[in-house]
Amino acid sequence: MSHLRRGRWLIALPMSLLALATIYPLLFTANVAMKTRRDYILDRFALTDALRWENISTAWTSVGMGRYFVNSLVVVTSSVILLLLLGSMAGFALSQLRFRGSSALFLGCLAGLFVPFQVIMVPLARIMADTALIDTYPGLILVYVAQFLPFTVFLMTSYYRGVPPEIIDAARIDGNSIYGVYRRIMLPLGTPALLSVGILNALFCWNDVLMSLVMMPSAEHRTLMVGVTSLRGQYSDDIPTFASGVLIAAIPVLVVYLFLQRQIADGVAAGSTKG
Amino acid sequence: MPIGNTQPSVRPALAGRTGGPAVDPAARRRPARRAGSGGGLRAERLAPYILVAPAVLIIVLLRLYPLLLGVNFSFTGDGTRNGTAVGIDNYRELLTDPLFRTALGNVGWLVLLLPVAVAIPGLLATFIYLRVPGHRVYRSVYFFPAVLSPVIVGAIFNLLLAFDGPVNAVLGAVGVPPTDWLGNPDIAMFVVVGVHVWATFGMSLVVFLAGFATLDSALLDAARVDGASLPQVIRHVIIPGLSRTIQFVFVTTMIGMLTSMFGLLYVMTSGGPEGSTYLPEYYIWIQQGQMNRPALASAASTVLFVIMLVVGLLQIQLLRRAGKES
Repeated sequence: MSHLRRGRWLIALPMSLLALATIYPLLFTANVAMKTRRDYILDRFALTDALRWENISTAWTSVGMGRYFVNSLVVVTSSVILLLLLGSMAGFALSQLRFRGSSALFLGCLAGLFVPFQVIMVPLARIMADTALIDTYPGLILVYVAQFLPFTVFLMTSYYRGVPPEIIDAARIDGNSIYGVYRRIMLPLGTPALLSVGILNALFCWNDVLMSLVMMPSAEHRTLMVGVTSLRGQYSDDIPTFASGVLIAAIPVLVVYLFLQRQIADGVAAGSTKG
Repeated sequence: MPIGNTQPSVRPALAGRTGGPAVDPAARRRPARRAGSGGGLRAERLAPYILVAPAVLIIVLLRLYPLLLGVNFSFTGDGTRNGTAVGIDNYRELLTDPLFRTALGNVGWLVLLLPVAVAIPGLLATFIYLRVPGHRVYRSVYFFPAVLSPVIVGAIFNLLLAFDGPVNAVLGAVGVPPTDWLGNPDIAMFVVVGVHVWATFGMSLVVFLAGFATLDSALLDAARVDGASLPQVIRHVIIPGLSRTIQFVFVTTMIGMLTSMFGLLYVMTSGGPEGSTYLPEYYIWIQQGQMNRPALASAASTVLFVIMLVVGLLQIQLLRRAGKES
């Protein structure tokens, strides 16, 4: 037992080095974003001598990151609201209501989990083009919803399975319709799960690049992550502006992580233990 | 839906339970409500379907149907042969395309590297579970890169791995000559995989920790009392106790490697140098978006889907075997 305890301190050293390696890349980028081009070329490691927020505002305005940021915000918010609404509706019905075909429908939703976007990219782009939804916000929102709905339905169904049926029976006897039960009982009861799943979905949508690249070809519709990829070619000789653009894309995620870390980890863990 | 509407719909069910005769007088006394209750009953019966319908429709139309469409599409031609059946020509072309062969070869490398990508978060989770000094901090620090987009991770590592970048500078300080990490076709793929592991091991770590929470701590205490060493504890207590979690992490890590490295490849190497960092998903995107070969891309998609099915079926097989043993 004592050798295990001594071992702990030996292990703590590489673990803290790894922790450093986990954080350093972002700190390095934040530092570079505050430098002048000259400073960066002279010494890329030295701490910046001033906080040059004007680099960030350059990236925001003249590079167009601001526009991409708003695009992303609109698409992600709409997608998450739709995902939570449709996911909780289906999760409630599949977990608590008895109806013919419910298990087949549940399996159908689950089957969606095993179809990654890469596999259906070509036909999906064609469907979107045929319905004039390609290069539109509703088109991308629909693609995001379709991508993350199987996972959302799955998690909401398993969460709602834990709700005692007596609660629903009592609400029904009180005169609620099924929709009333959904709105007054299931939605409020589902809040913790909806929060976890909502944050995860928001991260997934915010971080996506491939779907957005395929579904939003025109430059003014770019989402933030596609905007970051376009920085590379344009600003390869202006690293501080490049780093500022990267930082703009990373900061929202950073803030969400700092405040909602537990919910994110819980969501990931729930997805694994219920699988 | 207004509350008043729902009252009658409960009644027939209750009345039905008490027996047939009881329904008739009630119905005769209030004919209007009886009619209303019939409509309400139908609405109540339909309600579950209405709740499920949007989700099911979206999943079927935009996930399952495109899968069939894509498989069908992979047997037609591109360009001048657009829409005509060409049999397995696309698949034949895939097999002779050096880029696709590289992509498949790289999938082979991913399979070989998979145990490492699973062992790293597994070991770290073990140490955190055993309360290494500072374990609370490690948990949140390690998980952090997992929430960043591959695009952001790739962009940051472009800076770090540049020929005159920090990584080479640090290595230079200990006498290692500078390496062109992303420009050398022999190592570029491994560098990208390494960055992918750096960015995602926190996800698996959290999954492992959730598994540890279900582990019987009495077993661990017993092993400690018996004076078991750490490797012995891992082999005889942790691995058998977490077999389901380990398998889950194996599958999700493999699927992650096959379907979420596009952002890194796109930003860090664009498939280069010399096409050495192609993976099936990147190949599909290039053929569809850049080369205007959607049918060929569909064939590659089908191959990727088959690879993923094999991974999934192997998992079920392993789970069954583990179930028989225990």
